[in-house]
Amino acid sequence: MMRRVVSGADVAGMLGPAGATRRDAAPRRIDSSGGSPPGAGVTPPAPQHGAAPDNAADAVGSRVHDGDARGWGSCKAEGAAHPESWPSGHVEDGVAPDNAADAPPSRAAILHVDIDAFFASIEQQRNPKLRGRPVIVGAGVIASCSYEARRFGLRAGMALSEARRLCPQAVIVDGHAQVYRCFAEAIFERCRDFSPAVETYLDEAYCDLTGTERLHGDLRDAAQRLKAAIRDATGLTVTCGLGPNRMLAKLAGKTVKPDGLARVTAGEADAFVRDRPVEQLAGVGHAHARTLRSMNIRTAGDLRALPVEALVRLFGTPGRMLHERCRGRDTAVVHAREIPVTVSRETSFHRDTADRAGIEGMLEYLAGRACRTARELGVRPRTVAVRLRYSDGEGAERARTLPQPTDCDPVVLAAALDTLARLFTRRVALHGVGLTLANFVAAGAEQGALFDEREAGRRAALYRAFDGVREHFGHGVLVSGRALHLKGRLDENEHGFVLRTPSLTK
Amino acid sequence: MRQESIDEAVTVRADFQGGVVTPLAFRIRGREVRVSRVNARWVDRVPRHPHYYFSVTADSGDVYQLQLQAADMVWWLDAVTLEG
Repeated sequence: MMRRVVSGADVAGMLGPAGATRRDAAPRRIDSSGGSPPGAGVTPPAPQHGAAPDNAADAVGSRVHDGDARGWGSCKAEGAAHPESWPSGHVEDGVAPDNAADAPPSRAAILHVDIDAFFASIEQQRNPKLRGRPVIVGAGVIASCSYEARRFGLRAGMALSEARRLCPQAVIVDGHAQVYRCFAEAIFERCRDFSPAVETYLDEAYCDLTGTERLHGDLRDAAQRLKAAIRDATGLTVTCGLGPNRMLAKLAGKTVKPDGLARVTAGEADAFVRDRPVEQLAGVGHAHARTLRSMNIRTAGDLRALPVEALVRLFGTPGRMLHERCRGRDTAVVHAREIPVTVSRETSFHRDTADRAGIEGMLEYLAGRACRTARELGVRPRTVAVRLRYSDGEGAERARTLPQPTDCDPVVLAAALDTLARLFTRRVALHGVGLTLANFVAAGAEQGALFDEREAGRRAALYRAFDGVREHFGHGVLVSGRALHLKGRLDENEHGFVLRTPSLTK
Repeated sequence: MRQESIDEAVTVRADFQGGVVTPLAFRIRGREVRVSRVNARWVDRVPRHPHYYFSVTADSGDVYQLQLQAADMVWWLDAVTLEG
C-alpha cells in the first residue's frame, strides 16, 4: 500500500476556508513600546542591562511592571486575568474548541529557572573588564554570548567567523566547563531550598512548587526570593517563569528575558499560548519550524487548526504531542533525576582529518573519558552513540544498544568503533568527533552475568585502579591502544593531551 | 584577552570571618600582590575535598584566579588574565 506523504498544500486543504483566510490575515499584535495589552493597563519594563530580548517574539508586549525597581515583570497583572485581554493572533476564537481554558483549572505550579546568557555571564563575573562588552564563549562556533553581543545579531550556534564579521569588537574567550558546572550547581542548590523536586539541565531547571503555598506564601514572591538568593550567591541573574505546567512556565519566562519573572495561570494559558511563535513550543526545532512556516503556520494558534491526524502524518508520533502543546497542555512531570540523561565527550580536531588511525585514537580517548565519568557517577550506559562532524558542515550520528549495560572502556570502545566504521562512509575529512553514552542504569542494578562474573570483577577493579591514578595525575597519564596514536601528534601538558576543546584537556 | 596558566602554590593572607573565605593579598616570587576586589567565587565539590576558587582583581588592575584546596589548605595561583 502506498503511503501518502502530506504536503503543505494538503494540510492547507485540511484547514478549510478558515485556514485560507488566515493566510492573509494580518496578526494583531501589541507593540511593547507603543502600549500594553488591553486589560493589563500597565507598561512593560525596559529589558535589564540594556539588553535586547531573545527574539522578536519577546518584544511582543505582555510584560507587566510590578513596581519592583529591578524590573521583574509579569506576563500579566495579577487579578486582571481574562484570556481575552491577551493579544489575539491569527486564529479566530472557536477554531480550537478543545482549548486549555476548557480543562479544569490545574493546581500544579511549576517554576522554570533559566540562567541568563550562562557561560558569557560567568566570564563577565570572573573578569570585570568584560562587563558591559560583547562577549562570546566558544571555539569554532558560539556556545554562548552576552546580551551585549546579541544586540549585534549574534546567537548561539553561529560560526565565529560570522560573529566576528557582525561584531568585530566582540571579545572571544575559551569555555571553562568546570567553572560553569560549579556555578550551575550553586544555583540549583538554591532551587532545592525552595522546591522538593528540581529537574536540572545545563543552564536551566524546573522546580515543582505544587502544594508549597502554605510554606512559601505567594509563589510569585517565592520566585522573587529565589532570584534574589541566586543573585546574592553567584552574582548571576536568572529569568523565572511560573505556570501550571512545564511548558507554560518556560514559555512565560521567555517573554521577560533577561532577569525577569512572569506568571501564567491556568485560566490565562489558552490566550497566552495562542500567540506564541511555533518555534517556542517544546518539540519544534529548526526542521519542524521550517515545515510549518512553509504552510504559513507561525503561531501556536495557527497550529491548532491542524487536526491531530495531520500533525502525526507530518511529524510522526511527536505530532500528537504538538497537538497538545499548542493548546497549552503538557503533562510531563518534574523529575528530580538521580541519573543523567547522557554523558557526552566531543572535540574538534586541530586540523580536519581523514586519517582513520587518528580518528579511532581520538574516539578511544573520548570513550575513556566518558566511561570514567560514568563510573564516577555510578551509572552504566545501555546505548553508545558516535557523532561525526564533516569539514563541509554536514553531520552524522548513529547509536547502538549494548547487550549489557557497562561502564567498561573496551566494551564501549568496541561498540563505538563498529559504529564509526558504519558511519564514516563519506570521502570528506572530519572536523570533529564525539561519543555519547545514554540510557543509563544505576551500577549494580542490572542483572549480572552468570559465567564471566569473575572476569567482570577483575576488569572493574582494574578500571577503578586506573581512575585512582588518573584522579591524582591527570587523565592523560594512562594512555592505551589506539589513543597512543595521538602521542607526538597532539601537544601534551601535565594533564595529558591538549585538545581543541579546552574542558577536555585538563 | 587570554588567560595564562600559572599553577603555583602561593602564600595568601585571607579573612575567614563568618565562615566565608576572602583572600586579601598573596605573595608571588617575593612580591606581595594586594587584592582590591573579589570578582567571583565558586566551589568545586566533585573532588573528595572541595576546592574553593576566587577570581580577584589586584591593586594593579590585573585579574587573577586563586584556588584553596580544602584537603590540605594550600592556596594555588591558577592563572592570570591578560589583555590582547
